[in-house]
Amino acid sequence: MTPFVLTRDLCKTYQKGTVAIPVLQGVSLEVGKGEFVSVVGRSGSGKSTLLNLLGGLDTATSGRIVVGDSDVTSMSRQDLAVHRRSTVGMIFQSFNLIPSRTALENITLALAFGNHPRSDRRRRAAEILSSVGLEGRLSHTPGELSGGEAQRVAIARALANDPDVLLADEPTGNLDSGTAAEIVGLLEALNRERKLTVVMVSHDEEAAREVSHRILRLLDGRVIDELSGRAGA
Amino acid sequence: MTPPDLWRLSLENLWRTKLRSVLTTLGVVIGIGALVSMVSFGIGMQENVTSEFRENDLFTSMQVLPAKIDVGEVMAGGFEPPETVTALNDSAVEAIRALPAVELAFPEIRFPVTVRMMGKEARTSLQAVPAAMGRYKPFSEIPYGSFYESDADSVVVLTGRLLNELGFRLAEEPVDARAGESGDTELVPISVDSLIGRRIEVISSTVDLRSAARSFMRSFTPPSKLPLKEDVARLRVVGVRGRLSGFGAARFRGGIIVPIETGAAMPRLGFSDVWDLLDSSEQAQGYGSVYVRTRGMDDITPVREAVEEMGFGVLAVVDELEEIRQSFLIMDALLGAVGTIALIVAALGIINTMVTSILERTREIGVMKAIGGSETDIRWIFFSEAATIGFTGGVFGLALGWAVTRIANAVANHYLRPQGVPEVDLFYMPIWLIAGAMAFSVCVSLLAGLYPASRAARVDPVQALRHD
Repeated sequence: MTPFVLTRDLCKTYQKGTVAIPVLQGVSLEVGKGEFVSVVGRSGSGKSTLLNLLGGLDTATSGRIVVGDSDVTSMSRQDLAVHRRSTVGMIFQSFNLIPSRTALENITLALAFGNHPRSDRRRRAAEILSSVGLEGRLSHTPGELSGGEAQRVAIARALANDPDVLLADEPTGNLDSGTAAEIVGLLEALNRERKLTVVMVSHDEEAAREVSHRILRLLDGRVIDELSGRAGA
Repeated sequence: MTPPDLWRLSLENLWRTKLRSVLTTLGVVIGIGALVSMVSFGIGMQENVTSEFRENDLFTSMQVLPAKIDVGEVMAGGFEPPETVTALNDSAVEAIRALPAVELAFPEIRFPVTVRMMGKEARTSLQAVPAAMGRYKPFSEIPYGSFYESDADSVVVLTGRLLNELGFRLAEEPVDARAGESGDTELVPISVDSLIGRRIEVISSTVDLRSAARSFMRSFTPPSKLPLKEDVARLRVVGVRGRLSGFGAARFRGGIIVPIETGAAMPRLGFSDVWDLLDSSEQAQGYGSVYVRTRGMDDITPVREAVEEMGFGVLAVVDELEEIRQSFLIMDALLGAVGTIALIVAALGIINTMVTSILERTREIGVMKAIGGSETDIRWIFFSEAATIGFTGGVFGLALGWAVTRIANAVANHYLRPQGVPEVDLFYMPIWLIAGAMAFSVCVSLLAGLYPASRAARVDPVQALRHD
């Protein structure tokens, strides 16, 4: 399979004063189009950093990232913004919704950044929220939503500008097991039905195995193992 | 993100922190209010003075004298008459009249006369003025009758004061209006209708040297009284002037005004002022002074230079005005500086508010970047917020400034009216001040938003998303 997401010898080192902290130390991976890949590992293994680099939120110290036809590592800051708004959609553990805005407004803001026609934004936002089962929660602010609902809004926001890749950073970390299963199930459905490429970071290897085609184990900034998930079996 | 999106987003963000936004905007409101009211006071003062000058044609008129004189020197008493004096005669008047920007030029003819009407007599001065002056103040505002239209008619325009001196008063004018002036109660009322069209006698005097010599030859004793010969002209009254006021009135204070050719043809004493005496040695036919009127205010300087080139002296009020204008400029600058200081304090308020806002909204900035907001988008969001504060502050600041000027004006007039000062608008708010204050408010606010906006744009999204 031709890789849609590819990294080669990806390194990221943070500088804290005079001390250099290597977080990623030569990560090379490939994710095919429509594939669901989970990255698992302990805290501090570099999972989230890897996702931030793929999503263009952070820049690599060395190595190469290619998403689709674009070399993310050589992008300007403006190009990275375009990459974030149109190629990838990101989902976070703490939802990262804007608390003062309603569910609908959180989505319309993403559509505004994506230069979606102004007159169509509300309709489009309502449609996406309905697709994740939130048709009755459009005018609720994040504070008025349960954790699972908030994460669904976050997923809807990530889908707003029709991304090619969904990057989920511990999307179930703040949820109870029942809700977590629902969210993972939603991601799996998006991958299966829409053929959306998903890269999910998780600390719950068992849950990840249920929905992923492949699982990458990360330790101290290196990929130490690659396993097949049940979805890929 | 489109400009309407930015505008809407900035309004929403400001609305979210209403109290803080209102307080910050209030700083701008006070700054702009102070700036506008103070500058409009300066402009108002200037406008009041210059409009008075303009209405009285002081910007477009000058007096040409036979020689250059320094007013300062004359005032200090150090003036010495020039040795040679250029003749300010008819050909000189013609030459001045031929200058491109000169609209009118005529010799100032003024001499003492006796006026006789309905058996009563009064001494006054006659002034000869061309009919063309009827277009300008004070002759354009003849309250009773009209100004004459020909330079050679045997007509006359009287003043109310001369009528009083003759023992009359206009029946149409209420007695109250002249309260405080000469014992009005004894004046005989006369209606305008019976006055206009009436013929009066104007008696001018000339020295009759021949009869003086004859009487001297006869008796070999000096004459007991001046050998004056009287000439009587019968002139028809066409108008009566009202009371004179304002800067320009002094120039046309003659008791009676007659057409210039009629006045020039009247026999009179050979001199009317000191210049005639100075002239007499060199050129007997010269005029004392010539009134020159230019087409526009900007023509004064070139015409003045051209006239001085001819060897004449020029007196123009506009000279003094330059100094007045400079004083006003300094006053405006000082008043504007006070307002600007208030606005700078307001700008610091904006910076403070926005920096605080960035700290509070760091995570939100991170989220916006994560969902595709570029640095430019973030910068413009904060810029729009600053501009909104500046614009709103500007609008309400203008309203505040306007209210302050109206109240101050009402209070000032309330205290000035009992002292006999006519109603005056002390403040003037021209369009350029309104537009300038708005632009200034928005610019200062944008300037204040520059640092916070670029700081917001540079927020690291990864750090921001971890921010609590």
